[in-house]
Amino acid sequence: MKRAYLIEMTVFRDYARQLVGLGLLVSLCIGLGMQTPLAMPATLTCMFFMMSAMGLAAYDQLNHWELFRLTLPLSRRDVVLGRYAAIVTFGLLGMAVGLVGALISIGAVSALGIGGEVGEAFALDADLLGPMAFVTSFTLLIGSVVASVVTPLYFRLGQTRATQILPTVIVLLFVVPVVILGNSGMLDGGIPGMELVSAALEALETPAGMACGVTACVAFSAVVLAISAAVSLKLYERREL
Amino acid sequence: MSSTLIEASGLTKHYDGFSLQGVDLTVNEGEVVGFVGQNGAGKSTTIKALLGLFPTDGGTSSVLGCPSEELSRTSGAATKEQVGVVFDAISLPEHLKVADVSRIYARAYATWDAHRFQRMTTEFGLDAKKTVKELSRGMGMKLSLACAFAHDARLLILDEATAGLDPMARDEVLDRLRDFVAEPGHAILMSSHITSDLERIADRIVCIDAGSIIFDLPKDVITDEMGIARCRVADLEKIADAGMVPEHELRYLRHDYGIDVLVPDRYDFARRFPEIPCDRMTIDDYMTLTLKGGVR
Repeated sequence: MKRAYLIEMTVFRDYARQLVGLGLLVSLCIGLGMQTPLAMPATLTCMFFMMSAMGLAAYDQLNHWELFRLTLPLSRRDVVLGRYAAIVTFGLLGMAVGLVGALISIGAVSALGIGGEVGEAFALDADLLGPMAFVTSFTLLIGSVVASVVTPLYFRLGQTRATQILPTVIVLLFVVPVVILGNSGMLDGGIPGMELVSAALEALETPAGMACGVTACVAFSAVVLAISAAVSLKLYERREL
Repeated sequence: MSSTLIEASGLTKHYDGFSLQGVDLTVNEGEVVGFVGQNGAGKSTTIKALLGLFPTDGGTSSVLGCPSEELSRTSGAATKEQVGVVFDAISLPEHLKVADVSRIYARAYATWDAHRFQRMTTEFGLDAKKTVKELSRGMGMKLSLACAFAHDARLLILDEATAGLDPMARDEVLDRLRDFVAEPGHAILMSSHITSDLERIADRIVCIDAGSIIFDLPKDVITDEMGIARCRVADLEKIADAGMVPEHELRYLRHDYGIDVLVPDRYDFARRFPEIPCDRMTIDDYMTLTLKGGVR
């Protein structure tokens, strides 16, 4: 798996460099636009998870690379696990870039002596770290779920065909359930266990609750990615290249 | 005793409109096996089946003793350390630079020799800073060949690897292939439409058509022993009557100027029919007579 992972990193390196630069710019725009650095690492974490899942798959079909890769001393298992390891690496890289962007913007606002609402929003505040960690871990979960849905499709169908059906899959998985629940009135408080959700959201406002929330998001992301990797292994095993 | 590096028996794969039908193929140590056939005959499909790139519907095959179906599994992937593969076009992401390609191979192969690769790319005139996309087809093939030569492979599987190379580069590559196969334990399976290359380097010629092996002969039998008699219609009758070739095996091909007849032993034929011109057989001639010729 290590070989496949390192190959993925080499193939993706140039694009990752561009992503880092672009990500830094996007994070600064988001921070300035929202007048808070809170969402900067969060946005990039999610963005990098999705872009690496899709970007890596895009390279597979260039010059039949996907086919030729299996003539190298790699197994299909190596290829699948290497891909997931690369996606996680780039997702975490996005998080790091977002954090760096947040620190740069906080430092710049402070150094430039910008006051008022903006200066206040970008002041180095320890109270900001907890919510930032939670929001980031939550978007890590979102990014992981999206990567976990699209990656098995790419492994089963190849990038071209998977891209054609992905919009349908996304609508079926993420939009249709919300519409059905909305129309059924369940979202207006009728869903069983809503009290638990409300209690959990309240608990997030405490430091211990927030730590639990972050841990739960990270753990859930790991589980979702592991399940997705297992599905991809099964699908790619049978794929005719 | 020479060992068998590639072995396929009854290899079968069905697609819509095409089937690989019971392909038998061996490549022994020290051999260069030329794999020929028309476009769409099944050469690339056979090669991909040997490399375990898709499941087959029947038969068995192995590469360096490892069953083909294991090559893409954890149990067999290490076998590919000793196999160099070149497809008919460069098969690497196009944004990679030549130097990146070396990095990829260094990660893939424990035996990767970066110095040898660098030496070969320099000899081939490949600029390390150029991307795969910027390389012409011929330069791309040179890069693929440099990769195949630089990781101490025992077996080379080349699918149209000399296509796109200029005559001088082909000469150079053929020399390298000759040197490669001269080393103990090495062998080459080489599919090609450029049969003149195979005449210079191959030990055995295997021809596939419509998914079935049509012939598997030592190259010297074709090019050194066989002949192609340039006959008139009356000559064909004379040859058939002489009983030199059993009548049901007498292959011929009619064309505008006469009839070409396949002669198994051109020296014997020249003694018996000195008045009928008999040329040396080429692999192309033999393929044409076998695939398109008639039998009396």
